Amino acid sequence: MKSNGEQLNIPYSKNRKFYRAKKNLFLNWQLYVFLLPALTYFFIIHYIPMYGVQIAFKDFIATKGILGSPWTGFDHFERFFNSYYFWRLLKNTLAINFYQLLLFPLPIIFALMLNELRNGAFKKWSQTLTYAPHFISVVVLVGMLVAFLDPLTGLVNNAIVALGGESVPFLTSPEWFRHIYVWSGEWQALGWGTIIYLAALAGVNPELHEAAKVDGATRMQRILRINLPSILPTVVILFILDIGKFMSIGFEKVLLMQNSLNSETSDIIQTFVYETGLLEGQYSFAAAIGLFDSIINIILLVIVNQIARKTSENSLW
Amino acid sequence: MLKVKKLLLLLFAVPLLLLVACNNEDETSAPEMDKEAMENFNETGYPIVDEPITINFMTRKPPTTADDYNDVLVWKTYEEKTNIKIDWGLVPSEGFEEKSNLSLAGGDYPEAFYTAKFSDVDIMKYGEQGVFLELNELIDKYMPNVKQLFSEHPEIKKALTNADGKIYSLPTVYSPDFTSMTSNIKPWIRQDWLDQLNMEMPQTTEEFYQYLKAVKETDLNGNGKADEIPYGNNSVAGLIGWLKGAYGIGNKGRKQGFVDLDPKTNKLRFYWTTDRWKEMLEYINKLYSEGLINKTIFTMETNEYHETGSQGLYGSTVTTSPETRFGRDEYVGMPQLEGPHGDKDWVYVTAPVVHKAAFVITDKNKNPAATARWIDYFYGDEGAKLFFMGVEGETYEETDNGELEYVDMLTDNPDGLTFEQALRPYITWLGGGYPALVQSDYFKGAENSPASIEATKKIEPDIIEETWPSFPFTVEENQRLAALKADIEKYVIEMQDKFIAGEEPFSEWDKYVETVEKMGLEEYMEIQQAGYERFKES
Repeated sequence: MKSNGEQLNIPYSKNRKFYRAKKNLFLNWQLYVFLLPALTYFFIIHYIPMYGVQIAFKDFIATKGILGSPWTGFDHFERFFNSYYFWRLLKNTLAINFYQLLLFPLPIIFALMLNELRNGAFKKWSQTLTYAPHFISVVVLVGMLVAFLDPLTGLVNNAIVALGGESVPFLTSPEWFRHIYVWSGEWQALGWGTIIYLAALAGVNPELHEAAKVDGATRMQRILRINLPSILPTVVILFILDIGKFMSIGFEKVLLMQNSLNSETSDIIQTFVYETGLLEGQYSFAAAIGLFDSIINIILLVIVNQIARKTSENSLW
Repeated sequence: MLKVKKLLLLLFAVPLLLLVACNNEDETSAPEMDKEAMENFNETGYPIVDEPITINFMTRKPPTTADDYNDVLVWKTYEEKTNIKIDWGLVPSEGFEEKSNLSLAGGDYPEAFYTAKFSDVDIMKYGEQGVFLELNELIDKYMPNVKQLFSEHPEIKKALTNADGKIYSLPTVYSPDFTSMTSNIKPWIRQDWLDQLNMEMPQTTEEFYQYLKAVKETDLNGNGKADEIPYGNNSVAGLIGWLKGAYGIGNKGRKQGFVDLDPKTNKLRFYWTTDRWKEMLEYINKLYSEGLINKTIFTMETNEYHETGSQGLYGSTVTTSPETRFGRDEYVGMPQLEGPHGDKDWVYVTAPVVHKAAFVITDKNKNPAATARWIDYFYGDEGAKLFFMGVEGETYEETDNGELEYVDMLTDNPDGLTFEQALRPYITWLGGGYPALVQSDYFKGAENSPASIEATKKIEPDIIEETWPSFPFTVEENQRLAALKADIEKYVIEMQDKFIAGEEPFSEWDKYVETVEKMGLEEYMEIQQAGYERFKES
């Protein structure tokens, strides 16, 4: 549509863009009405509650309410930064998340492999089998871990002992915690994670493959030169989305797997917030820690998004 | 452009204004006893109110109790007597802290909290804010049983009084002469295994070690497998609680988990960094590393512990009663062990006030006087009898010598229910934390079984004379202490487990002490000292 703006006399050029937007809004108002419910939802559910974040800078007293509680400035943040556990919490939170991020390529590789399968029945079976663990709840999963990894009666340790090894107290060893946490999570998420990549792979133009075949490209070459580049935009977006929830994953599972012997590596910011905030009722302190957590996350998200935009032209914004 | 700005401003300002408005509304709802309520209320005699009223509670519901308390015999009976109906607001125990904290923070809390077990910090915080009603006057006017309890046992009043000199909560309180209850977690040993091994009852830590070793090396249950567990438990707390007395630490009882009185200097001390504490950890570490303690002790769930216990695999344990927990009768109580320095005190005893805040009345309560009379009943003989034993003829009978006994239908259920299952429709005290006075005459739980009484006799001569309740702190002190506790107490407990499990070698001990000191131990002790002095003077 050719804009009518050019025919009108507009006094200030900086107002021009705004004017055009207004015009647009007027002409397509029905479309904006459709958008309204979603906007209202986000405003009410996600933005209004944000005013509560201010208790991170206050000494929250229930009877005085959020607005009536006295300001304390950065006291709660200082307390957290000065806490003996600050560095440990930060280190553990980052370590677990980076570890998890390292496994990001696994579903991609798995999807590329599945895509190459010719046998329909076998392909369907493999997919179903790998999806299935996704539906196991966290509580049950941790129960399974406890049962399988028990130093005396667990399947894994019995196998180790039968092979002449020595029983390993997996769940009470700090050095094992991250591996168990991340890999059991990957076992659950792998199949599910392939779904989107498989969908993207289904959209690859078959003519490209035919042309490559004619040119004598091997299968490996076709995967690397055709399939992978075709799904790369999807990969980048999913990676950014993953970063978006970087600091907030798996809190329940960590809490369930935690005990005093592995807390050296299992103590993370979220479990600390839960302990101090919900169990001990120190809301302001917990809110401050939670806010700190979110800020780290936003910084990471912006950085990754910038990098993605510079290098691959794909980004969230 | 301006218009957009205005619009944005409006968008943000409206909800804020609404919130401010809501906030103001809250502040005006101060507690008051209106005339109508007072006319309906009887200061003495029953019913408590002439016209029936309903009071809403929030109640911690242990899994062992009935799903609807209003169907329970005890409460039906009491409702008829008082004309007060309770809306119980049951919350499963696991989620109670979260739910009650959120309701208090959100301002949407009930008229009273039942079986609440609020922390001292919360009592003081919400007491000072006026959310929890001050009870001194109510106790004086309408709670004769509590008043009498205070005059008979001034230490109970002392334990309930906060730093500001006021009482905000009613406790779960064990009658101080009911020693089997105040020392309810006791050490147990398999008598038949002792006999088989031809050993005498262990009297010292060394003899106990010898017994554990013998259990480990002998196939006592004769099944050809080395599956006997010399000492088994699902937490190290019980073993430590018992052994502390053999090393002369923790000498003021279970309610003071971190400080005690240094017998040499007569001053308050943090005993988790003392040499004695180290020695004790070394001893437990020896047991653990030689496989005399189950390796799963740090991760095991309670039901797993009961399951292994019911197979009779534990050579010894520390628990309330193996009889009720495992259903095994081979276990007998053990005495307090004597340590390497000749210390022999039973310190694993709680102060009479076990839970300071089992019951609180909030400022939303429309009938504080009636609520006070309602709860007071359970601190007297008649109420305790109803609460623990139920109704005569239905759930209990009086024997010829005046003892109360549950009827056969409960103790030996025709439908094969266990005692606890059979009790469910009649009482709600299973699971603990209730606001009431627990006396030997009316409490027929595991702690009053013949085996428990027998076991208590063994430790009785060594029970320490004075047990401290928790110290009263001001709100400011609590705030500072919370930060210090979050570091210090968390750290020392973690290190305790690590030293025991051998994950941290004892060569790191000095570093450990240094770290605790760096965390602000000095300030921590200053605050503890202030609380201690307040407690001594009150």
